[in-house]
Amino acid sequence: MTTTLFIQSLLAGLTNGFVYGLIGLGISVIFRGTRVVNAMQGDFALVAGIAACLALDWLGLPIAVGFLGGIIAGALVGWAVELLLIRPTQARGGSEDSLLLVTLGGAFAVSAAALLYFGRDSRSMPGFGGNRSLDVFDAAIRVHAVWLIAIAIVVVVALRLFYQRTPLGQSILAASIDPEGAATIGINVPRMRTLTFMLGGAVGGVAGVLVSPLITIHYEMGLLLTLKGFTAAIVGGLGNPFGAIMGGLLLGLVEAMAIVFVSSGYKDVIAMSLLILIMIAMPNGLLGRRGRVGG
Amino acid sequence: MLSVEELSAGYGDILVLRELSLAVARNESVAVIGPNGAGKSTLVRTLCGLTAARAGRIVKDGVAIERLAPHRRAATGIAAVLENRRLFGELSVKTNLDLAAREGDRRPAQARRFDHASLFELFPFMRERLGASIQLLSGGEQQMVAIARALLLQPDLLVLDEPSTGLAPKIVKGLVDVIARIRRQGVGILLVEQNVALATEAADRAYVMSLGRVTRAIPPEQWRGAQGDGEIAKAYLGA
Repeated sequence: MTTTLFIQSLLAGLTNGFVYGLIGLGISVIFRGTRVVNAMQGDFALVAGIAACLALDWLGLPIAVGFLGGIIAGALVGWAVELLLIRPTQARGGSEDSLLLVTLGGAFAVSAAALLYFGRDSRSMPGFGGNRSLDVFDAAIRVHAVWLIAIAIVVVVALRLFYQRTPLGQSILAASIDPEGAATIGINVPRMRTLTFMLGGAVGGVAGVLVSPLITIHYEMGLLLTLKGFTAAIVGGLGNPFGAIMGGLLLGLVEAMAIVFVSSGYKDVIAMSLLILIMIAMPNGLLGRRGRVGG
Repeated sequence: MLSVEELSAGYGDILVLRELSLAVARNESVAVIGPNGAGKSTLVRTLCGLTAARAGRIVKDGVAIERLAPHRRAATGIAAVLENRRLFGELSVKTNLDLAAREGDRRPAQARRFDHASLFELFPFMRERLGASIQLLSGGEQQMVAIARALLLQPDLLVLDEPSTGLAPKIVKGLVDVIARIRRQGVGILLVEQNVALATEAADRAYVMSLGRVTRAIPPEQWRGAQGDGEIAKAYLGA
């Protein structure tokens, strides 16, 4: 094995890790604001990717504007899911498991709708910097992937500041920690839950528009992204957004190393086995529940 | 100021409050006592809108509020400290207070009686512990933060649900003093308590609740006379 190949894999693992992390970040945002485990997170990304793709193809908008449109589409889907699926289920006294099941059903519905209206074929989408790459010790990383990593870091830091510093972020946390206590001090709890889903949808949208130029858009990509993102979030500690990114990076890098040192067919076996071991040793995830406040 | 008229409320098929009526005048302190299961906490929850009223009215300063969403009730001047305090345990004392202060800031200027400085006077320990997470405070300190948080909603009626639960006798004594000082600011008190010693010292008069109804109103003369002796407890709480 050459050093170049190693670095190349490392860069791929790093990029994938941030994608998983961004999906996990959205799952973590929604969990910490509503206690709902959202199995539709990857489909928020799918819808955002499709919306951005259409905005670029049909309307010929600049890439950044098309991406913004995709992120807004993600937020709108989040809003609709909370209003049409989550809220009615909760009003009838649905448990946490029934909410998980409802979002899982929603994931298949979105995927089927994408198949129906967007088609069976994968579609490629332009990214930042076209197809240009940067050289890193003879290995190459696409300019778009560098943007992906930078934007993911900005999103994590922005979310941390949002929860720690802004009244709205603190109200969302309060409404999730003790909904009744929050209501008695004038916090509109249902609105905080809707905003949480919109925020989660927007984060899913960021993941969707950023990953689509790297992997092409496909109607089945939602559930695959959800699975990886969910793994990232659980490994990092579900209540902690920083954890999701760390879990995503670990997952991405282990996959990459598995491909280099074993074979690409075994990458999921090796990555998942390692993650099972981590969960046995640290059942609350790498950063645990304690991080819920700070992160 | 507050009048509850033939209020009924409950959970599922079970009716807990049955046509309950009571009233609290401006700057008055009124206790509600009664045994476990009398419906005291359901009364507080229904006043806050956390349990829906099935029938009857809750009138605050002439306005019926029984259909108002829970998060809108603080704006009518009612603030409640619920059973078990219901603080945001993972957030700091300061954040807990700030969240309520933002709601309280929307109250009219003449209704605003409390700010951080006046709360520090009332609860000196709080100044040092502002940055601490709620989970690190003692039970007594948590109760004081819960009261401070409610006061920052700038209420003219403070509803306290079993504030003495789980507190040491010495801290319960301190609670009597705190309630007296809050009243001096012009805030009325509705004190739901099983601890008759606290209730007799902190309230002017009392209602006795049993099986979801008010079974007796004890006027001030009689209530003051009951102070200290165990007669009330024996007669009404089965203690």
